[in-house]
Amino acid sequence: MKSSVKLTVNGLEQEHQAEPRTSLLTFLREQCGLTGSKRGCEEGECGGCSVLLDGELVTSCLIFAVEAQGAQLVTVEGLGTPHHLSPLQEAFATDGASQCGFCIPGMLLAATNLLERNPDPNEQDIRKAISGNLCRCTGYDLIVAAISMAAELKKGARG
Amino acid sequence: MQNFTYHAPASLAEALALKNEDDAGTRFLAGGTDLFLAMEFAGEPVKTVVDLKKIPELTGIEELPGGGYRLGALTLMGQIEAHQGLRAQYPALVDAATVVGGPPIRNRATLGGNICNASPAADASTPLLALGAELVAVSAEGERSLPLGDFWSGPRQNALKPGELLKEVRLPALPEGGACAFERLTRSAMDIAVVNAAAAVSLDDAGNFASAQAALGAVGPVVLTVDGLGDALRGQPCSPEILEQVRKLAEAAAQPIDDKRASAEYRRDMAGVLAMRAVERAQLLARQGKGDEK
Ligand SMILES: Cc1cc2nc3c(=O)[nH]c(=O)nc-3n(C[C@H](O)[C@H](O)[C@H](O)COP(=O)(O)OP(=O)(O)OC[C@H]3O[C@@H](n4cnc5c(N)ncnc54)[C@H](O)[C@@H]3O)c2cc1C
Ligand code: FES
Ligand code: FES
Repeated sequence: MKSSVKLTVNGLEQEHQAEPRTSLLTFLREQCGLTGSKRGCEEGECGGCSVLLDGELVTSCLIFAVEAQGAQLVTVEGLGTPHHLSPLQEAFATDGASQCGFCIPGMLLAATNLLERNPDPNEQDIRKAISGNLCRCTGYDLIVAAISMAAELKKGARG
Repeated sequence: MQNFTYHAPASLAEALALKNEDDAGTRFLAGGTDLFLAMEFAGEPVKTVVDLKKIPELTGIEELPGGGYRLGALTLMGQIEAHQGLRAQYPALVDAATVVGGPPIRNRATLGGNICNASPAADASTPLLALGAELVAVSAEGERSLPLGDFWSGPRQNALKPGELLKEVRLPALPEGGACAFERLTRSAMDIAVVNAAAAVSLDDAGNFASAQAALGAVGPVVLTVDGLGDALRGQPCSPEILEQVRKLAEAAAQPIDDKRASAEYRRDMAGVLAMRAVERAQLLARQGKGDEK
């Protein structure tokens, strides 16, 4: 029943055997060993499993890995490294936007996707962009502030 | 979840042939935001999944030459949300698409899936019914069109025949001086609707109703039409008395049940209120369209 699923994750080709019923989330975590995408509700509600699939923010728990055959994926592991944080990761860390951290990978991908499309978002744009991501700790305000700080940082970097 | 065989055909003919091989054991997959969980929890005996996403004939949003729109079954909620032409003419549909889940859901959830899934609380389905949408179904034998109002027969039951799939939705042109609006009540922003309502109205030169249609979601086994609304409103101004009539007709149309989200009684009351608000707002938009604000 298994077949080969080949896709690109964070610029690297990944090819593994998977059953059709295997979710993209399970494929990423268990076959690719990328555990940054979180298994929360597995019902599309919490956004912890969010990834960018061909540039679109999606919940990987509701997608079969076979559906992503040939696709380009970005997970939180592709955003930055501990020594080279992305501007968003930098802002989240500086601003204290992360508490337990469980929601943060999904938040970062939602925010990355927002800033790619809208480099100068207002608070409402930010709240809308993360409206599919639940956080049980922070009350969202520091997350919203961090995203807006990152937008400023990026603007500064552009000159 | 039981295992299954997965196909992602690039042609409509191939998808239909696969479905014909074992109609009962085969499911079409669009965004999967309903089907994935249905297969996970209901343990539906699915042997074959036919992914429709590679079929070009099922995509696209186009304005039709005589007015109105064609929306391919695979049209995403997010595409409707971002479409300026639809927003200008059919804000009821755009507003409804915009409340389906969060952004990651709207990047997967399709209009065709919302309709075929036949949930009585399907948000995008309510404005489509109020707007008098037509569906085009296709099978190996060819295409047929049917009114959306004839499509649902009960929760999770639709009028597709064995071997058929939904190809596209056709939105008729709004009548001269027409406008539409959508209203929704939920317990929290991300929850499904306790009740939703949509109205499409047009006004005559005197500013009285020329036509009116409304639909209600989550208050019956299927999304329902408010019967008798057009006859009650035609030739009338939008007065408090007329809105009271809208409320009564909507309450009469509702067939709600008690569940964890709300009691039947509350649902019926709210169906009345939401229908009233939708008609009033559609009427206001129609007036603004005519250039005589207020
Ligand atoms: C977290 C979350 C929140 C949600 N919130 C809302 C909400 O607020 N409002 C709302 O209305 N819905 C909501 N939904 C439900 C769902 O997202 C929508 O109903 C969506 O439009 C379904 O589309 P889909 O493409 O994902 O359908 P799928 O899951 O792919 O398919 C649904 C059903 O329709 C059939 N089907 C799909 N396309 C076709 C076709 N072209 N021809 C024949 N059969 C077809 C499938 O076989 C399946 O039985 C939510 C879902 C989730 C997971
Ligand atoms: S784990 Fe996918 S949305 Fe919660
Ligand atoms: S930081 Fe704990 S869930 Fe968001």
